[in-house]
Amino acid sequence: MSNTTIEDQVSPIYWQKVSPWALLYFVVHFSVRFVKDGLLNLLPMLVVFVTQVENKLFWAQVAGGIALISLLIYSFLYYLNFKFCISSDNEILLNKGVFKKERLTLKFGRVQNVNIAEPFYFTPVNLVNCIFDAAGSVSQEVVLPGVTKDYAQQMRKQIFDFKAQQQQEIQNTEQSETDTIENSLSISNKEIAKFGLMSNMAILAIAAFAPFINLIVDFLEKQIIAKVEGFYQQELGMLASAATFAMITLIVLLVLVAVMLSVTMSLIRFYNFELYFKGQKFKRIAGLLERHQLSMSMDKVQSIVIKQNLMGRLLKRFTVECLQASSGGIAAGVAAKKNKQTLVLPVLNSEQVDSVCQWIYPWFNSKKLAFKRAERALLYKNLGFYSLLPSVLVFGFCFIADINTLISLGVLVVFSGLVTLSYQRYGYYMHEDNGRFYMVVRKGMIGVHYRVFELYKAQSARSISTYLMRKSGLKSLYIQLASGFAFMPYIKQQDADFIIDFTIKQIESDTRSWM
Amino acid sequence: MFNNQQIMDLPKHSDISFKPLANKALLHTQLSSLLFYIPLIGALIAVCYFNETFANNAQTYLLIGMPILVAVSMAYNMISVRLRGFAVRNHDIAFKKGVIWQQVTVLPLARVQHMEIHQGPIERKLSLASIKLFSAGGVSADLQISGLTHDDCKNMRQFVQNYRQDDATTQAALVDE
Repeated sequence: MSNTTIEDQVSPIYWQKVSPWALLYFVVHFSVRFVKDGLLNLLPMLVVFVTQVENKLFWAQVAGGIALISLLIYSFLYYLNFKFCISSDNEILLNKGVFKKERLTLKFGRVQNVNIAEPFYFTPVNLVNCIFDAAGSVSQEVVLPGVTKDYAQQMRKQIFDFKAQQQQEIQNTEQSETDTIENSLSISNKEIAKFGLMSNMAILAIAAFAPFINLIVDFLEKQIIAKVEGFYQQELGMLASAATFAMITLIVLLVLVAVMLSVTMSLIRFYNFELYFKGQKFKRIAGLLERHQLSMSMDKVQSIVIKQNLMGRLLKRFTVECLQASSGGIAAGVAAKKNKQTLVLPVLNSEQVDSVCQWIYPWFNSKKLAFKRAERALLYKNLGFYSLLPSVLVFGFCFIADINTLISLGVLVVFSGLVTLSYQRYGYYMHEDNGRFYMVVRKGMIGVHYRVFELYKAQSARSISTYLMRKSGLKSLYIQLASGFAFMPYIKQQDADFIIDFTIKQIESDTRSWM
Repeated sequence: MFNNQQIMDLPKHSDISFKPLANKALLHTQLSSLLFYIPLIGALIAVCYFNETFANNAQTYLLIGMPILVAVSMAYNMISVRLRGFAVRNHDIAFKKGVIWQQVTVLPLARVQHMEIHQGPIERKLSLASIKLFSAGGVSADLQISGLTHDDCKNMRQFVQNYRQDDATTQAALVDE
């Protein structure tokens, strides 16, 4: 224990200001926040404005002008009050706020990542944003805008050195030998475009237009459908089905626009994707408008998810996610993703998946994982509940409504197929490597989803059983993780009990920090 | 591959003897349940009183159906409370519950992030309380045990607070040796 004098402990605080260029960041930041959070609240006023106000253009200009001036004044005042300081107690102090002044203290020990972002408006002046991620908390994130790249990198080094010093006792020498080896991976932009096809980003973009759906439909009906219908009638002479063809054309166009939008958004997010792995740390650099640098320590990763949806299967590509602790629920998980706490490797082929996973788990080989499957009782139960029951209901409905009852047979065949696929996907695999124990849980239907985690990182374990399951000696297994959960239904009772007991033993006896 | 031959002395959660809830837990559950049904019955009586057509059509069914529903619900509560149990072990807390889907949850104390003790008006009257234990990443509390005495809750909270993972792992190592 150190025995420092009082004079040593009390050191003066030197407050620093960020570059005046940071004003640009504040303007952009508050504009984005206004659009994201404020616009929805102003929607009722917008409706009144559209329906009631007569001289719309004039009043829109007045309102826009006032909003712009307010934004500039607020950003300027925010910039004036924005001061930061690195204290001798290894913490970042931040003073900010205009109407409500805030003092934020973030200890180095609590910083999970230090990310360096290069927004396009800082590129000419060679400045960056230095973002400090605190453990799982969005509100505790600290951003220092408009600092030089060297300063940001120096800050990152200082924090990581401090943390490394703290964890030095835990690190073993074997690890430090392997730390010197650097692995890297870059993904071409052509591949990134494939992620646009695989992901649901277009749906999110379309959802943003939901409040204006009536206006859009009216516009499409008047401006596009009528014209396309006219074209079909005049040029191709299809009088009877011109409206149907016009509608189909419009739908195809909309789908194409959505796909293009999705591809564009993927490119904006993951442009020139580069990934490095050295010293048990990931470093990822990607982005078109903003070159975002994300670093993540391996011991912070709670689980790794490898997933492939229908489009991914067609393209033979996977998405890998390294998940950190999210402080509660789906909302926090989404927030963690938005807050860039999740390392996403968007498009990888199966060899790349294996090689990236082997950086972290050297034993990992997706082709050699001998999964133990769920018992057949799961298939029978799901066929009864999710295939037979709906088809009986459909049969009853068709019978009453005097519709062809063969539809129910179609429902039975399709649902049985999906249920069987889902049953076949369920599986778990446990692995021991150098005294460490891992579990891989697989699920899916048309796509596939793997979750890989080390057992000691689990939070709690649960068994679930019904009367019939107990009679058949079966149990379902649920393991809560700090990022999501692993669920394996209908496995043998002794296996489920063993996994729970063994997981609990790992949690309780492992001295390593799980966070 | 995974090998489980070395771990012969693995503590089994299936061998845990669970402690039943407090004596007044059933009364609390039944009162809470009635608090849901009484306003519902009151509302139905009011609708029958003011709407004669509804009364003529539904009165008989309601007079037969509602008492059956309340009786079934109370019987379900009795079984449910009897099947619940908790156990505080050296390093974890276990809780079992469920009538149709029986669940046994084991939450290691080293993973408890924070705790909450709740006491509603009925619970205060009956000197009961509920405890919620949260770990990281869960949608809600990992363990929510209601129907405990307030003292049991406070003792449990104190026990979890006093728990030191380092002590526990040292003890575990000693046991292993």
